Amino acid sequence: MAAGPEPPAPVLVLGVGNLLLRDDAAGLAVLAELARDPDPRVEFLDGGTQGRALAGHLGGRRALVVLDAVRLGAAPGTVHVLRDPLGAAPPRGGSAHESNVGDLLAAACLLGELPQAVVLVGIEPALVQTGLGLSAKVAAAVPAAARAAQAELARLCAGVPEEGAPCTS
Amino acid sequence: MTATRVVVDPVTRIEGHLRVEAMLGEDGSIREALSSGTMWRGIELILQGRDPRDAWAFAERICGVCTTVHALASVRCVEDALGIQVPKNAEIVRNIMYLTQAVHDHVVHFYHLHALDWVDVVSALSADPAATAALNQKISPSWGLATPGYFKDVAATLKKFVDSGQLGLFANAYWGHPAYKLPPEANLMAVAHYLEALKWQREIVKIHTVFGGKNPHPNYLVGGMACAIDLDSDNAINIERLNLVKRQIERAREIVEHLYIPDLLAIASFYPEWTKIGGGLGSFMSYGDVPQRGIDDPSGFRFPRGVVLDKNLAEVLPVDPRDPQQIGEEIAHSWYRYPQGKDRLHPWDGHTEPAYSGPKPPYQHLDEQGAYSWLKTPRWKGRAVEVGPLARLIVGYAAGNAEIKEVVDGALKALDLPATALFSTLGRTAARGLETRLCVRWLMDEFDRLIANLKAGDYSISDTRLWEPKTWPARAKGFGFTEAPRGSLGHWIQIADGKIANYQCIVPSTWNASPRDAAGKRGAYEESLVGTPVAKPDQPVEILRTIHSFDPCLACASHLYGPDGTRLAEVVVR
Repeated sequence: MAAGPEPPAPVLVLGVGNLLLRDDAAGLAVLAELARDPDPRVEFLDGGTQGRALAGHLGGRRALVVLDAVRLGAAPGTVHVLRDPLGAAPPRGGSAHESNVGDLLAAACLLGELPQAVVLVGIEPALVQTGLGLSAKVAAAVPAAARAAQAELARLCAGVPEEGAPCTS
Repeated sequence: MTATRVVVDPVTRIEGHLRVEAMLGEDGSIREALSSGTMWRGIELILQGRDPRDAWAFAERICGVCTTVHALASVRCVEDALGIQVPKNAEIVRNIMYLTQAVHDHVVHFYHLHALDWVDVVSALSADPAATAALNQKISPSWGLATPGYFKDVAATLKKFVDSGQLGLFANAYWGHPAYKLPPEANLMAVAHYLEALKWQREIVKIHTVFGGKNPHPNYLVGGMACAIDLDSDNAINIERLNLVKRQIERAREIVEHLYIPDLLAIASFYPEWTKIGGGLGSFMSYGDVPQRGIDDPSGFRFPRGVVLDKNLAEVLPVDPRDPQQIGEEIAHSWYRYPQGKDRLHPWDGHTEPAYSGPKPPYQHLDEQGAYSWLKTPRWKGRAVEVGPLARLIVGYAAGNAEIKEVVDGALKALDLPATALFSTLGRTAARGLETRLCVRWLMDEFDRLIANLKAGDYSISDTRLWEPKTWPARAKGFGFTEAPRGSLGHWIQIADGKIANYQCIVPSTWNASPRDAAGKRGAYEESLVGTPVAKPDQPVEILRTIHSFDPCLACASHLYGPDGTRLAEVVVR
């Protein structure tokens, strides 16, 4: 986070998930893969399970790429790329202890600070239970998810994002 | 006797789920309640066999919000086991991080989680902006944003948000329920301040970034802190960075004194009946925190340590969490197995072995006669005790702590209430705000202490003499604690041959949400719900109010059943 006066990097790559819940940490594994390739236009952030509390990291960005485990009912290890994540992950209005990506995006939207382009790159989990390390199918999907995220990043960094803002307020 | 049963079960990625079942009597009030953690976690098992110096980094991931408090309890338990005393600067920096977390967490809880139990967002749309400004100026003359134009803009933003169908952020409530008592203007004011708090909460955490290197998940270190401080260096936390911290503390104080506390008192004044509902156990425990002379000297803690039983403010009993006769976890009503012959274990000898015997989900209801929770039942000398802000203030009040007495008596006077009003749902909610006043005050005190110590030439921030495992005894055990926003948090560790042999946490919500003990005595949530009137069983906002007053760490679902055993409602409390 930019604690000083300097403006934040135009693109934020935000990995979320609980490191202690096996495949829930899929987004963090993709983040680690991407962060090996530093880019001055991109900030990489491990958001853990902070949900809405991460809203402060979104302001002043041109684009946001969220990396997460996404359960859409596909085969475990499937890589999902969602360009309208607010529609796909509606806010739950829950406690700070379980506020999800949808809550985060809705809070940023309410503040008028949602980046113009938001993309969610996720992996369908196989195993969300206490423990460290991804399941084999999800671990095998990490490189593909990272490539998908890199393609999105290349597009987002190249010029003005094409996607309309998911919220207008 | 027949009973109406209300069940409140959601999905969370953090702490597990909480399920509350409430049985209504013929008179419409809750006759019996049970609180159940419905998800097996067993985080402790992940830590076994690891390097104790790394434990904090895993512990920090236990909770999605309170990352720092688990890290703090973890480094403290390892330091306790190894006999490490941290330097004065580290004690102060940890206090600053602790107090920052407390202020952030309490403000967020009030505005973003609990206020919606009292504030009707939809009603805010019909408020008059000028009257709202007048109301705000009356309750908080120093708050600069109370103009008709400002409230007109907020109402327009809210309307746009609601019209776009994105009420989801506010979805967890019952708009139009007769239990909402605020006039539209008070509702609009509260919504505006919801937004102000949302903007501010990202600022205050910059303090964690300064001292912890990053946020979320700031860095801790066994032996001290991992940050270098040098007032004049460009490569350390220098005076420029410390000035940023100071500005954040000043801003936090404005938010607490001119936004949070006036709003809290104003909202509370509309709900006097809630000073008589939800009191619960009436017995409280605090480990104490914010040390001034080292962690081994509780007499120097700003939050005192002790137990108060049965609302007896004349006596504070001593607490020793190392004593197996004092702290123990029972499993009479939990889905766990203990070694043969044991029914109660001190956390140093704690055992985490699941033994599910409940119904196959999805199920109608749980059986309070048998095992019904994934939470164990922690007890102090066999007694159920409540932990959290109210417990800290009650223990401090009973101990005669001057600062705590000042803020508590001040609020009681402002609301014209007796001290017994504290033992209630509203008392719990008010206590959270009142201790936040102390926390922002102490934040500045601790900041001044840090500057004074640095100016005296002491730059030491960590003691690494016992860093190498070869300097450790073959076996050691330690206890680490903190008073987390939700209450007493303890980590107990056993170290053998340089590795973690056993690690057990008792988190605040386990104290409060625990199932009955072997003697059949209810836990704090359970007890606090008994006797609560429920106006509309299909919309049990009353259950939400009381459970939220504890600031539950677990997402909560509440299920309500009718006198004939039929399910009346299944609502997500969260």
